[in-house]
Amino acid sequence: MRYLAWMLWIVALSADAGEVALPPDSVYQLNAALTTQAGGTAGLDQYRGYPVMISMFYGSCPAACPMLITGIQAYESHLDPAARGRLRVLMVSFDQARDTAQQLAGLARLHRADPARWMFASAGESDARRIAALLGISYRRQAGGEFDHSLLITLLDGRGRVLAKTSKIVGDDAFQASLQLATAGESQ
Amino acid sequence: MKPRWIDRGAALALMCCAATAVADNPYLPVEGNPHFQSALQGVKPAAVTVRGFQLQRHPVTNGEFLSFVKAYPEWRRDVVPPLFAGADYLGQWLAPAELGATAQPQQPVTRISWFAAEAYCEAEGARLPTWYEWELAAAASRTERDARADPAWRQALLDWYARPAGKDLRPVEQSATDVYGLFDLHDLVWEWVQDANSLMSSDEAQKFCGSGALSLQQKENFAVLMRVAMLSSLKPNDTTRSLGFRCAKDLPATGQ
Repeated sequence: MRYLAWMLWIVALSADAGEVALPPDSVYQLNAALTTQAGGTAGLDQYRGYPVMISMFYGSCPAACPMLITGIQAYESHLDPAARGRLRVLMVSFDQARDTAQQLAGLARLHRADPARWMFASAGESDARRIAALLGISYRRQAGGEFDHSLLITLLDGRGRVLAKTSKIVGDDAFQASLQLATAGESQ
Repeated sequence: MKPRWIDRGAALALMCCAATAVADNPYLPVEGNPHFQSALQGVKPAAVTVRGFQLQRHPVTNGEFLSFVKAYPEWRRDVVPPLFAGADYLGQWLAPAELGATAQPQQPVTRISWFAAEAYCEAEGARLPTWYEWELAAAASRTERDARADPAWRQALLDWYARPAGKDLRPVEQSATDVYGLFDLHDLVWEWVQDANSLMSSDEAQKFCGSGALSLQQKENFAVLMRVAMLSSLKPNDTTRSLGFRCAKDLPATGQ
Protein backbone atom coordinates (compact mmCIF):
# COMPACT_ATOMS: atom_id res chain seq x y z
CA MET A 1 0.00 0.00 0.00
CA ARG A 2 1.40 3.32 -1.04
CA TYR A 3 0.16 5.11 2.02
CA LEU A 4 2.27 2.93 4.27
CA ALA A 5 5.31 4.84 3.20
CA TRP A 6 4.25 7.90 5.10
CA MET A 7 4.50 6.16 8.45
CA LEU A 8 7.17 3.50 8.00
CA TRP A 9 9.69 6.09 6.98
CA ILE A 10 10.04 7.20 10.56
CA VAL A 11 10.97 3.66 11.55
CA ALA A 12 13.69 3.65 8.93
CA LEU A 13 15.07 6.91 10.24
CA SER A 14 15.23 5.78 13.83
CA ALA A 15 16.81 2.51 12.77
CA ASP A 16 19.68 4.12 10.94
CA ALA A 17 22.58 4.29 13.35
CA GLY A 18 24.10 7.32 11.65
CA GLU A 19 20.96 9.47 11.73
CA VAL A 20 19.74 11.56 14.61
CA ALA A 21 16.24 10.32 15.39
CA LEU A 22 13.45 12.82 14.85
CA PRO A 23 11.99 14.31 18.02
CA PRO A 24 8.42 13.18 18.82
CA ASP A 25 6.95 16.55 17.88
CA SER A 26 8.71 16.87 14.54
CA VAL A 27 6.41 17.41 11.57
CA TYR A 28 9.02 15.58 9.48
CA GLN A 29 7.52 12.36 10.82
CA LEU A 30 5.00 12.86 8.05
CA ASN A 31 6.52 11.54 4.87
CA ALA A 32 4.90 13.32 1.96
CA ALA A 33 5.84 13.04 -1.71
CA LEU A 34 5.96 16.59 -3.03
CA THR A 35 6.51 17.46 -6.67
CA THR A 36 9.04 20.27 -6.89
CA GLN A 37 9.29 23.24 -9.24
CA ALA A 38 12.18 21.37 -10.88
CA GLY A 39 9.91 18.44 -11.65
CA GLY A 40 11.51 16.18 -9.05
CA THR A 41 10.24 14.67 -5.82
CA ALA A 42 10.94 15.96 -2.35
CA GLY A 43 9.83 15.23 1.17
CA LEU A 44 8.48 17.67 3.70
CA ASP A 45 11.97 17.49 5.23
CA GLN A 46 13.52 18.95 2.12
CA TYR A 47 15.34 21.52 4.23
CA ARG A 48 16.11 19.41 7.25
CA GLY A 49 18.98 20.92 9.16
CA TYR A 50 17.88 24.50 8.48
CA PRO A 51 15.24 26.72 10.04
CA VAL A 52 12.37 26.77 7.51
CA MET A 53 9.31 28.89 6.95
CA ILE A 54 6.61 26.66 5.51
CA SER A 55 3.19 27.58 4.19
CA MET A 56 0.50 26.37 1.83
CA PHE A 57 -1.05 28.13 -1.15
CA TYR A 58 -2.28 27.59 -4.68
CA GLY A 59 -0.94 29.19 -7.84
CA SER A 60 -4.17 30.58 -9.30
CA CYS A 61 -4.93 32.43 -6.09
CA PRO A 62 -5.70 36.01 -7.13
CA ALA A 63 -4.68 38.06 -4.14
CA ALA A 64 -4.14 36.28 -0.84
CA CYS A 65 -1.32 34.03 -1.95
CA PRO A 66 0.78 36.69 -3.67
CA MET A 67 0.39 38.68 -0.47
CA LEU A 68 1.44 35.66 1.55
CA ILE A 69 4.61 35.23 -0.48
CA THR A 70 5.40 38.93 -0.32
CA GLY A 71 4.80 38.81 3.41
CA ILE A 72 7.23 35.94 3.88
CA GLN A 73 9.81 37.86 1.88
CA ALA A 74 9.24 40.88 4.09
CA TYR A 75 9.85 38.88 7.25
CA GLU A 76 13.08 37.50 5.88
CA SER A 77 14.20 40.87 4.55
CA HIS A 78 14.57 42.09 8.15
CA LEU A 79 17.32 39.56 8.74
CA ASP A 80 20.95 40.36 8.06
CA PRO A 81 22.37 38.55 5.01
CA ALA A 82 24.19 35.91 7.05
CA ALA A 83 21.06 35.02 9.01
CA ARG A 84 18.95 35.02 5.87
CA GLY A 85 21.46 32.70 4.26
CA ARG A 86 20.69 30.13 6.95
CA LEU A 87 16.93 30.33 6.36
CA ARG A 88 14.89 28.24 3.93
CA VAL A 89 11.34 28.62 2.64
CA LEU A 90 9.03 25.82 1.47
CA MET A 91 5.76 26.73 -0.25
CA VAL A 92 3.41 23.79 -0.72
CA SER A 93 0.52 24.01 -3.17
CA PHE A 94 -2.65 22.00 -2.56
CA ASP A 95 -3.64 22.36 -6.23
CA GLN A 96 -1.31 19.80 -7.77
CA ALA A 97 -3.46 19.42 -10.89
CA ARG A 98 -2.94 23.02 -11.97
CA ASP A 99 0.31 23.87 -10.20
CA THR A 100 2.61 21.85 -12.41
CA ALA A 101 6.38 22.06 -12.10
CA GLN A 102 6.38 24.64 -14.89
CA GLN A 103 3.74 26.75 -13.17
CA LEU A 104 5.63 26.58 -9.90
CA ALA A 105 8.90 27.52 -11.53
CA GLY A 106 7.14 30.46 -13.18
CA LEU A 107 5.78 31.58 -9.82
CA ALA A 108 9.23 31.37 -8.27
CA ARG A 109 10.62 33.58 -11.05
CA LEU A 110 7.71 36.01 -10.80
CA HIS A 111 8.34 36.54 -7.12
CA ARG A 112 12.11 36.58 -7.59
CA ALA A 113 12.41 33.91 -4.93
CA ASP A 114 16.02 33.10 -4.12
CA PRO A 115 16.54 29.72 -5.83
CA ALA A 116 19.20 28.75 -3.33
CA ARG A 117 16.80 28.97 -0.41
CA TRP A 118 13.20 28.81 -1.67
CA MET A 119 11.27 25.89 -3.00
CA PHE A 120 7.80 25.83 -4.52
CA ALA A 121 6.27 22.37 -4.58
CA SER A 122 2.87 20.74 -4.82
CA ALA A 123 1.28 17.92 -2.85
CA GLY A 124 -1.25 15.34 -4.01
CA GLU A 125 -4.68 15.36 -2.40
CA SER A 126 -4.00 12.99 0.48
CA ASP A 127 -0.62 14.48 1.29
CA ALA A 128 -2.01 18.02 1.09
CA ARG A 129 -4.79 17.10 3.52
CA ARG A 130 -2.35 15.62 5.98
CA ILE A 131 0.15 18.46 5.72
CA ALA A 132 -2.62 21.00 6.21
CA ALA A 133 -3.97 19.07 9.19
CA LEU A 134 -0.51 18.92 10.74
CA LEU A 135 0.22 22.60 10.24
CA GLY A 136 -3.28 23.78 11.18
CA ILE A 137 -4.19 25.19 7.78
CA SER A 138 -7.78 25.01 6.52
CA TYR A 139 -8.63 24.88 2.88
CA ARG A 140 -11.68 23.99 0.86
CA ARG A 141 -12.00 23.76 -2.89
CA GLN A 142 -14.89 25.79 -4.24
CA ALA A 143 -17.12 24.92 -7.18
CA GLY A 144 -15.19 27.05 -9.65
CA GLY A 145 -11.82 25.50 -8.79
CA GLU A 146 -10.62 28.27 -6.54
CA PHE A 147 -9.90 27.60 -2.88
CA ASP A 148 -10.99 29.16 0.38
CA HIS A 149 -8.04 28.84 2.67
CA SER A 150 -6.45 30.23 5.77
CA LEU A 151 -3.08 31.94 5.71
CA LEU A 152 -0.53 30.58 8.11
CA ILE A 153 3.24 30.78 8.13
CA THR A 154 4.98 28.19 10.28
CA LEU A 155 8.60 28.40 11.36
CA LEU A 156 10.31 25.04 11.90
CA ASP A 157 13.68 24.30 13.42
CA GLY A 158 16.26 22.09 11.76
CA ARG A 159 14.55 18.96 13.04
CA GLY A 160 11.03 19.90 12.03
CA ARG A 161 9.73 21.17 15.36
CA VAL A 162 7.39 24.14 15.29
CA LEU A 163 9.08 27.23 16.69
CA ALA A 164 6.47 29.84 15.82
CA LYS A 165 3.41 30.50 13.69
CA THR A 166 1.78 33.60 12.35
CA SER A 167 -1.32 34.36 10.35
CA LYS A 168 -0.28 37.96 9.95
CA ILE A 169 1.44 38.54 6.66
CA VAL A 170 3.06 41.65 8.04
CA GLY A 171 4.01 43.11 11.38
CA ASP A 172 4.06 40.13 13.74
CA ASP A 173 6.91 41.20 15.99
CA ALA A 174 6.91 38.03 18.04
CA PHE A 175 7.21 35.96 14.88
CA GLN A 176 10.00 38.19 13.62
CA ALA A 177 11.81 37.72 16.92
CA SER A 178 11.50 33.94 16.62
CA LEU A 179 12.90 34.16 13.11
CA GLN A 180 15.81 36.21 14.40
CA LEU A 181 16.55 33.67 17.11
CA ALA A 182 16.24 30.67 14.80
CA THR A 183 18.69 32.06 12.26
CA ALA A 184 21.14 33.59 14.71
CA GLY A 185 23.56 30.74 15.24
CA GLU A 186 24.69 27.75 13.24
CA SER A 187 21.96 25.58 11.69
CA GLN A 188 20.95 22.62 13.89
CA MET B 1 17.90 -1.17 16.43
CA LYS B 2 16.30 -3.68 14.11
CA PRO B 3 13.85 -1.84 11.89
CA ARG B 4 10.25 -2.75 12.67
CA TRP B 5 9.49 -3.17 9.05
CA ILE B 6 6.76 -5.49 7.92
CA ASP B 7 7.52 -7.05 4.58
CA ARG B 8 4.74 -6.92 2.01
CA GLY B 9 4.15 -10.66 2.20
CA ALA B 10 3.30 -10.57 5.88
CA ALA B 11 1.14 -7.52 5.45
CA LEU B 12 -0.84 -9.11 2.64
CA ALA B 13 -1.36 -12.31 4.63
CA LEU B 14 -2.68 -10.31 7.55
CA MET B 15 -4.90 -8.23 5.27
CA CYS B 16 -6.40 -11.48 3.95
CA CYS B 17 -7.45 -12.41 7.49
CA ALA B 18 -8.70 -8.91 8.08
CA ALA B 19 -10.78 -9.28 4.94
CA THR B 20 -13.39 -11.36 6.79
CA ALA B 21 -14.16 -8.45 9.10
CA VAL B 22 -14.06 -5.96 6.22
CA ALA B 23 -16.60 -7.95 4.20
CA ASP B 24 -19.09 -7.45 7.07
CA ASN B 25 -18.96 -3.70 6.67
CA PRO B 26 -19.81 -3.23 3.01
CA TYR B 27 -19.89 0.03 1.09
CA LEU B 28 -23.44 0.96 0.17
CA PRO B 29 -24.31 3.42 -2.60
CA VAL B 30 -25.71 6.81 -1.64
CA GLU B 31 -27.33 8.75 -4.45
CA GLY B 32 -25.92 12.19 -5.07
CA ASN B 33 -27.83 15.44 -5.12
CA PRO B 34 -26.91 18.29 -7.49
CA HIS B 35 -28.67 20.83 -5.26
CA PHE B 36 -28.21 19.63 -1.72
CA GLN B 37 -29.16 22.21 0.89
CA SER B 38 -26.25 22.15 3.30
CA ALA B 39 -26.45 23.86 6.67
CA LEU B 40 -22.79 24.69 6.42
CA GLN B 41 -22.63 27.60 4.02
CA GLY B 42 -23.85 30.76 5.65
CA VAL B 43 -26.89 31.46 7.76
CA LYS B 44 -29.26 30.64 4.93
CA PRO B 45 -28.58 27.09 3.76
CA ALA B 46 -26.94 27.11 0.37
CA ALA B 47 -27.15 24.44 -2.31
CA VAL B 48 -24.08 22.38 -3.08
CA THR B 49 -23.50 19.62 -5.60
CA VAL B 50 -22.79 16.30 -3.94
CA ARG B 51 -21.89 13.47 -6.30
CA GLY B 52 -23.05 9.97 -5.55
CA PHE B 53 -20.67 7.94 -3.40
CA GLN B 54 -20.44 4.83 -1.27
CA LEU B 55 -20.48 4.74 2.51
CA GLN B 56 -19.77 1.90 4.93
CA ARG B 57 -22.82 0.35 6.49
CA HIS B 58 -21.75 0.92 10.09
CA PRO B 59 -19.05 2.78 11.98
CA VAL B 60 -15.76 0.91 12.07
CA THR B 61 -15.74 -1.48 15.05
CA ASN B 62 -13.14 -2.39 17.64
CA GLY B 63 -12.70 -5.74 15.90
CA GLU B 64 -12.17 -4.16 12.49
CA PHE B 65 -9.72 -1.63 13.83
CA LEU B 66 -7.84 -4.33 15.72
CA SER B 67 -7.23 -6.18 12.44
CA PHE B 68 -5.85 -2.96 11.01
CA VAL B 69 -3.51 -2.36 13.96
CA LYS B 70 -2.21 -5.91 13.73
CA ALA B 71 -1.54 -5.47 10.01
CA TYR B 72 -0.02 -2.00 10.46
CA PRO B 73 1.68 -2.04 13.88
CA GLU B 74 2.98 1.49 13.44
CA TRP B 75 -0.57 2.46 14.46
CA ARG B 76 -0.38 0.69 17.83
CA ARG B 77 -0.99 3.11 20.68
CA ASP B 78 2.44 2.38 22.14
CA VAL B 79 4.23 3.09 18.86
CA VAL B 80 2.39 5.84 17.04
CA PRO B 81 3.91 9.32 17.30
CA PRO B 82 1.83 11.65 19.52
CA LEU B 83 1.74 13.98 16.54
CA PHE B 84 -0.68 11.57 14.85
CA ALA B 85 -2.66 10.31 17.83
CA GLY B 86 -3.02 11.80 21.30
CA ALA B 87 -2.46 10.18 24.66
CA ASP B 88 -5.95 8.69 24.94
CA TYR B 89 -5.76 6.94 21.56
CA LEU B 90 -7.31 3.44 21.86
CA GLY B 91 -7.20 3.84 25.62
CA GLN B 92 -10.29 1.66 25.98
CA TRP B 93 -8.39 -1.43 24.78
CA LEU B 94 -6.69 -3.69 27.29
CA ALA B 95 -3.38 -3.65 25.43
CA PRO B 96 -1.98 -2.13 22.22
CA ALA B 97 -3.12 -5.14 20.16
CA GLU B 98 -5.72 -6.68 22.41
CA LEU B 99 -9.29 -5.58 23.07
CA GLY B 100 -9.89 -7.09 26.50
CA ALA B 101 -13.26 -7.44 28.20
CA THR B 102 -14.18 -3.75 28.22
CA ALA B 103 -13.91 -3.30 24.45
CA GLN B 104 -16.30 -5.53 22.53
CA PRO B 105 -15.40 -6.43 18.96
CA GLN B 106 -18.76 -5.22 17.65
CA GLN B 107 -18.75 -1.87 19.44
CA PRO B 108 -17.81 1.13 17.31
CA VAL B 109 -14.17 2.01 17.84
CA THR B 110 -13.68 5.38 19.52
CA ARG B 111 -10.69 7.34 20.83
CA ILE B 112 -9.52 7.50 17.25
CA SER B 113 -7.66 10.47 15.82
CA TRP B 114 -8.32 11.88 12.39
CA PHE B 115 -4.91 10.67 11.22
CA ALA B 116 -5.65 7.13 12.42
CA ALA B 117 -9.08 7.13 10.77
CA GLU B 118 -7.51 8.39 7.52
CA ALA B 119 -4.87 5.67 7.65
CA TYR B 120 -7.46 2.92 8.19
CA CYS B 121 -9.57 4.10 5.27
CA GLU B 122 -6.56 4.46 3.02
CA ALA B 123 -5.50 0.88 3.86
CA GLU B 124 -8.93 -0.18 2.58
CA GLY B 125 -8.45 1.70 -0.67
CA ALA B 126 -11.04 4.14 0.67
CA ARG B 127 -11.17 7.53 2.37
CA LEU B 128 -13.13 9.43 5.00
CA PRO B 129 -16.40 10.93 3.76
CA THR B 130 -16.43 14.69 3.22
CA TRP B 131 -18.70 16.77 5.44
CA TYR B 132 -21.21 17.24 2.61
CA GLU B 133 -21.31 13.52 1.90
CA TRP B 134 -21.88 12.79 5.56
CA GLU B 135 -24.57 15.48 5.84
CA LEU B 136 -26.32 14.14 2.74
CA ALA B 137 -26.36 10.57 4.04
CA ALA B 138 -27.40 11.70 7.50
CA ALA B 139 -30.41 13.63 6.21
CA ALA B 140 -32.12 10.31 5.53
CA SER B 141 -34.74 8.57 7.62
CA ARG B 142 -35.97 5.01 7.24
CA THR B 143 -38.07 5.96 4.28
CA GLU B 144 -36.96 9.36 3.00
CA ARG B 145 -33.69 10.54 1.46
CA ASP B 146 -34.18 13.96 2.97
CA ALA B 147 -36.23 13.88 6.16
CA ARG B 148 -35.01 17.20 7.52
CA ALA B 149 -38.41 18.83 7.17
CA ASP B 150 -40.04 16.07 9.24
CA PRO B 151 -40.58 17.33 12.82
CA ALA B 152 -40.67 13.82 14.29
CA TRP B 153 -37.33 12.99 12.70
CA ARG B 154 -35.81 16.24 13.92
CA GLN B 155 -37.06 15.63 17.44
CA ALA B 156 -35.57 12.14 17.48
CA LEU B 157 -32.23 13.69 16.57
CA LEU B 158 -32.42 16.26 19.34
CA ASP B 159 -33.43 13.57 21.80
CA TRP B 160 -30.28 11.68 21.01
CA TYR B 161 -28.08 14.73 21.46
CA ALA B 162 -29.73 15.34 24.83
CA ARG B 163 -28.67 11.93 26.14
CA PRO B 164 -25.70 11.97 28.50
CA ALA B 165 -22.44 10.77 27.04
CA GLY B 166 -20.34 8.12 28.72
CA LYS B 167 -22.83 5.28 28.72
CA ASP B 168 -21.60 1.96 27.36
CA LEU B 169 -21.64 2.01 23.60
CA ARG B 170 -23.97 -0.58 22.15
CA PRO B 171 -22.77 -2.78 19.28
CA VAL B 172 -23.24 -1.57 15.72
CA GLU B 173 -26.20 -2.51 13.50
CA GLN B 174 -28.71 -2.94 16.30
CA SER B 175 -31.07 -0.12 15.45
CA ALA B 176 -32.97 0.50 12.24
CA THR B 177 -31.41 1.12 8.86
CA ASP B 178 -32.11 4.25 6.93
CA VAL B 179 -33.36 4.39 3.37
CA TYR B 180 -29.87 3.59 2.04
CA GLY B 181 -29.49 0.57 4.31
CA LEU B 182 -27.01 2.40 6.54
CA PHE B 183 -26.91 1.98 10.32
CA ASP B 184 -26.00 4.22 13.20
CA LEU B 185 -25.41 7.57 11.54
CA HIS B 186 -27.04 9.48 14.38
CA ASP B 187 -27.55 7.55 17.54
CA LEU B 188 -24.28 5.82 18.28
CA VAL B 189 -21.08 7.84 17.90
CA TRP B 190 -19.93 11.08 16.31
CA GLU B 191 -17.95 10.43 13.15
CA TRP B 192 -14.84 12.03 11.62
CA VAL B 193 -15.01 13.59 8.19
CA GLN B 194 -12.22 14.24 5.73
CA ASP B 195 -12.43 18.03 5.95
CA ALA B 196 -12.99 18.28 9.70
CA ASN B 197 -10.31 20.95 10.07
CA SER B 198 -11.75 23.07 7.27
CA LEU B 199 -15.39 23.32 8.30
CA MET B 200 -15.49 26.79 9.77
CA SER B 201 -14.77 30.01 7.99
CA SER B 202 -15.20 33.25 9.90
CA ASP B 203 -18.73 33.45 8.48
CA GLU B 204 -19.67 30.06 9.80
CA ALA B 205 -18.28 30.84 13.22
CA GLN B 206 -20.96 33.45 13.70
CA LYS B 207 -23.72 30.91 13.29
CA PHE B 208 -23.03 29.12 16.52
CA CYS B 209 -22.92 32.15 18.72
CA GLY B 210 -25.76 34.01 17.08
CA SER B 211 -29.44 33.89 17.90
CA GLY B 212 -30.08 32.23 14.51
CA ALA B 213 -29.27 28.83 16.00
CA LEU B 214 -32.14 29.08 18.43
CA SER B 215 -34.94 29.96 16.04
CA LEU B 216 -37.66 27.40 15.48
CA GLN B 217 -37.14 27.28 11.73
CA GLN B 218 -33.54 26.26 12.19
CA LYS B 219 -34.17 23.61 14.80
CA GLU B 220 -33.10 20.92 12.37
CA ASN B 221 -29.96 22.85 11.78
CA PHE B 222 -29.13 22.97 15.45
CA ALA B 223 -28.26 19.29 15.57
CA VAL B 224 -26.12 19.67 12.48
CA LEU B 225 -24.43 22.80 13.74
CA MET B 226 -23.60 21.09 17.03
CA ARG B 227 -21.90 18.38 15.07
CA VAL B 228 -19.93 20.90 13.02
CA ALA B 229 -18.98 22.79 16.18
CA MET B 230 -17.78 19.59 17.81
CA LEU B 231 -15.69 18.51 14.84
CA SER B 232 -14.27 22.00 14.38
CA SER B 233 -13.14 22.13 17.99
CA LEU B 234 -10.88 19.10 17.57
CA LYS B 235 -7.30 18.94 16.39
CA PRO B 236 -6.52 16.11 14.00
CA ASN B 237 -4.57 14.15 16.60
CA ASP B 238 -7.34 14.50 19.22
CA THR B 239 -9.50 11.61 20.26
CA THR B 240 -12.75 11.50 22.22
CA ARG B 241 -14.73 8.67 23.75
CA SER B 242 -17.77 9.33 21.63
CA LEU B 243 -16.04 9.91 18.28
CA GLY B 244 -15.50 7.16 15.74
CA PHE B 245 -15.62 7.01 11.96
CA ARG B 246 -16.59 5.06 8.88
CA CYS B 247 -15.07 5.09 5.40
CA ALA B 248 -16.33 6.21 2.02
CA LYS B 249 -15.45 5.57 -1.60
CA ASP B 250 -16.27 7.18 -4.89
CA LEU B 251 -18.80 5.31 -6.98
CA PRO B 252 -17.22 3.03 -9.59
CA ALA B 253 -16.72 4.98 -12.83
CA THR B 254 -19.44 3.12 -14.70
CA GLY B 255 -21.87 3.29 -11.79
CA GLN B 256 -23.01 6.89 -12.18
